[in-house]
Amino acid sequence: MKKSRIISTLLSTVAVVAMFESVQAGEFDGVTIEAKLIGGDQYEGLYARISEWETATGATVDIISKKSHFEIDREIKSDMAAGTTSWCIGSNHSSFAPQYEGLYVDLNDYVSGDTVAEFVGGNINASTVGGELLMLPRAQFDVSVLYYLKSNYTDEAKAAEFKAEYGYDLAVPDTWAQFKDQAIFFADPPNFYGSQYAGKDEAIVGRFYEMVVAEGGNYLDDNKSPIFNSDAGQRALQWFVDLYEAKAVPAGTLSYVWDDLGAGFASGTVALNLDWPGWAGYFNDPESSKAAGNVGVAVQPMGSATRTGWSGHHGFSVTNDCDNKEAAVSLVEFLTSEESQLAESAGGSLPTRSAVWDANVAAAAAGDDAFRAESLAAFAEGAKFAFAVPPIPEWGETTNIVFPELQAAILGDKTVKEALDDAAEAVDELMRESGYY
Amino acid sequence: MTRRRLPEWFLLLLPAIIVIAAVVLIPLIFSFYSSFTPYKLTRPSTLWKWVGTYNYEKILSDVKFWAAFGRTILFLTIALNLELMLGLGIALLVNKVTWGQRGIRTMLMFPMMFSPILVGFQFKFIFNDNIGLVNNIIQSVGFADVALPWLVDGKLAMFSILFAEIWMSTSVFAILILAGLFAIPRDPLEAAKVDGCTPWQSFRHITLPFLMPFIFIAMTIRSLDVARAYDIVQIMTGGGPARRTELLWTLMSRTGYVDARMGLANAMGYVSILLSILFTIYFFHKLSAARAELGMTG
Repeated sequence: MKKSRIISTLLSTVAVVAMFESVQAGEFDGVTIEAKLIGGDQYEGLYARISEWETATGATVDIISKKSHFEIDREIKSDMAAGTTSWCIGSNHSSFAPQYEGLYVDLNDYVSGDTVAEFVGGNINASTVGGELLMLPRAQFDVSVLYYLKSNYTDEAKAAEFKAEYGYDLAVPDTWAQFKDQAIFFADPPNFYGSQYAGKDEAIVGRFYEMVVAEGGNYLDDNKSPIFNSDAGQRALQWFVDLYEAKAVPAGTLSYVWDDLGAGFASGTVALNLDWPGWAGYFNDPESSKAAGNVGVAVQPMGSATRTGWSGHHGFSVTNDCDNKEAAVSLVEFLTSEESQLAESAGGSLPTRSAVWDANVAAAAAGDDAFRAESLAAFAEGAKFAFAVPPIPEWGETTNIVFPELQAAILGDKTVKEALDDAAEAVDELMRESGYY
Repeated sequence: MTRRRLPEWFLLLLPAIIVIAAVVLIPLIFSFYSSFTPYKLTRPSTLWKWVGTYNYEKILSDVKFWAAFGRTILFLTIALNLELMLGLGIALLVNKVTWGQRGIRTMLMFPMMFSPILVGFQFKFIFNDNIGLVNNIIQSVGFADVALPWLVDGKLAMFSILFAEIWMSTSVFAILILAGLFAIPRDPLEAAKVDGCTPWQSFRHITLPFLMPFIFIAMTIRSLDVARAYDIVQIMTGGGPARRTELLWTLMSRTGYVDARMGLANAMGYVSILLSILFTIYFFHKLSAARAELGMTG
């Protein structure tokens, strides 16, 4: 406790000193910045620091909306339709950013190149749409790695049985083929499942997308025409189908999204789980998880071509209609500064600045929390394979077309090929309507 | 020359006309107009691009839309009939209660007081295949290997959302039918008893005809409600999996708000209004017939 208090005091001091270096005291006296921010426990720590920026600059921040990202997304779309976009700062996400055409400023015009270069290149690329830097990333970077129950790999009888059945040694899976074998092997429904996956909305399409890439294919080609019904796409979808048919995943997995998956693995009844960094602490906390103390973290497995790595990150954007863009940009720089990212990532989230990654990995390696060191090392390795979704406004809309077709294949209503061909045909029509070709 | 004055009736109605125009007519005209445009919420300029009947042609040839349309009619038919049967049964039973009837009537209203979103979450948990109440009961009474996928299997998922809808709204029928039972004159029932009619004959030929106007009013109100079913379905299944529980409003809301294609969603809205109009006309026709049978006019 004492140690963390000292660190946070130090961070605050560093931040305030840094603030005075970058802005002049009272530079924005009397300015009010209206902001629409993503809400939730894991995000609040950063907002508590806003008062430091207010003190340093003389400006006031009025948080006019604080909601989940999907609700904020709907609200922003309604604002765009109604023309009520004079607020200044909006929480943004790399998957959502391309949708808001003309809403946000190109931050390249306001933020120095040196500052931009301090962020991880991949995150900056995923924040850039059509050459415009639409948001500065905060320390909320997401890429999924493999969480597993360690006890499954310490049972000699189980290992011998597995080897007899599959012909190779039982070890934490490094490929998606091994993952499938083991998930089927470990499953004992309805009491214990080999794995689980998000089964609807963007969640399942994102997972499918990264499996297609891992199999050497892609979602769209350079002309934005759908190509996910390729052989690679069919192999990717077959993986979901096989696990479902073998009852290695819960029957209800098709109605699960992130919270259901987190609760499932924390119940100790799921052997292998591909999941986001935000869950690491939760899974290993005895207060919240029956799997605590038995959780291992490894880099995500690979397909026949590469590892999966669907990623995304949160950030902050500044609207074109904002009356005082300089003040808004100053606040965004403060919220995404090295000090802010150090503070925010201390809660377990992943940073988007290179220096903060290095500092966190070094601190974890030198500390006495072996689980934190293991998970951070896995995420640092996993981040090397990260890739974002296609940066087009229609990404979300394509996922709404594709996910029911994926479900239809998984449930056996259609064959894998029929489902992907139907989805590709509908996405093709959408792309034509959107004027890509 | 005398100054022309607006008639008094018009002046008196003017505030109401203005309010109705502002909150009903203008949005209606605006949404109707936008159904002929490719209006996307995120691209306001698309509101001024006229595409004629493109959205309607797209909908008319869209199998997914018509599947949702058909599913909504099926959902409506089953929900209304079951709610009627259960509501009628509950009302007849409550009508027999001589002590504490007021308390029972109040308790009957409880499900209606919950927000549909809460009801959706409640039944989503109850029907969860892994940690849900229903599967846990099934497993604890001896079927240890059973984990029914209530919200995944097509038929079970429809059953689950119907169950939630019926749980919440049966009391609408019960209350309206109970009001009807209170309004029935005692004389014909007593005369029937004197003439030796069986309880079934009294119910079939006296009570039921008196109740029919109340039943059709309840049917009309609930048909409009159920045709707009959204909250419970969205929370419990989101229209899935694989569109197995997709109803008109889950499809429309996803098109309009998530995909931001408001022009197309509005066109869907106007086509689906046909459903509400047809049901309303049908029930009003039946209501008039039932009233005529009782010798009432209008």
